[in-house]
Amino acid sequence: MSEHERIRELLALAAAGALTSAEEKQVAEHVRSCIACSNELEAWRQTASELRRLPTPQPSSWLVQATLARAEAKLTEQAEHDWNHRVLILVVAFAWLTTIASWPIFHFLSGRFGSLLGPQFTGTWINFAAFTALGWLTGGVAAVMLAIRQRGERRLA
Amino acid sequence: MAVDADVVRLRRGDLNALSELVTRYQNRLYRYLLRIVREPAEAEDLFQQTWLRVVEKIRSFDASRNFDAWLFTLARNLAIDHLRRIHPQSLDEPLANSSHSETVADRIPSKDHTPLDHALAAERRTEISEAMAGLPMIYREVLTLRFEDEMKIEEIAQVTAAPVSTVKSRLQRSLEQLRYALEARYPGGTWQ
Repeated sequence: MSEHERIRELLALAAAGALTSAEEKQVAEHVRSCIACSNELEAWRQTASELRRLPTPQPSSWLVQATLARAEAKLTEQAEHDWNHRVLILVVAFAWLTTIASWPIFHFLSGRFGSLLGPQFTGTWINFAAFTALGWLTGGVAAVMLAIRQRGERRLA
Repeated sequence: MAVDADVVRLRRGDLNALSELVTRYQNRLYRYLLRIVREPAEAEDLFQQTWLRVVEKIRSFDASRNFDAWLFTLARNLAIDHLRRIHPQSLDEPLANSSHSETVADRIPSKDHTPLDHALAAERRTEISEAMAGLPMIYREVLTLRFEDEMKIEEIAQVTAAPVSTVKSRLQRSLEQLRYALEARYPGGTWQ
């Protein structure tokens, strides 16, 4: 491929401003001495100029307002969802801690302080805490699975 | 790169930031979608879907990155999914037994124009617009991103998830095909 042919293939990209600085320099040097390429480059530049000045289609104000309304509703829904999520976590944590604490509190209030430190109580209490944790964990996993399923259904709707 | 304050506010759930961003990008985004799908009703639907997707995904967006490229990538993915679903036999597929650049879209009859119309610059832009609409999707896309949106080649590469060399190659071919299409409208003469 001759230098002339190689440069000619770069002219469209030159008009599009998509050449490297080295390529731009080569094109500029060549078109100074080649009338055919100079004319070709000018034609491409005119095409590029026309493309830049194509009328921009405008979305209707109705479309923009409707889009904003839907997007804002979704944003609000997401914020509410996040808030509910945080509250749910706090409530579950509080309920679990209350459940665990209920046994020692019961012992404390009934005056059996000594049994609180006994090995039998500690073992029973740990088993109780683990058992209730398992119950809350099962409920939590079920809630998460339900939420994922609902989200999927909402997306398909 | 400067962090876009509106994007940061939107990540925190600010409704005003959403309004600012929609207003700022409405023309560019709508034009991009219209150039890809060509049907105003479809572009309008995709315009809404894109902003809903923005709201859905904004928290996963790194605010230090280029929001333009991210937004147009979301719009592009939705538009391509839409085209695959609605137009399984895409207008962009080259026809069998046709010349190298002919597509189904090229065979759609266009309006006749008088010589006087050809002399008018506004009419020339209409001609270019129509010729552009007849190009394959990837060529329409690269033309609108480069010339109408004035995106850099690197940004177009980000939006289209293609290497810079591929973007340049598409840009060159799109300009050449545009020229063929325009010259085909003025046989024996020059469209310019």
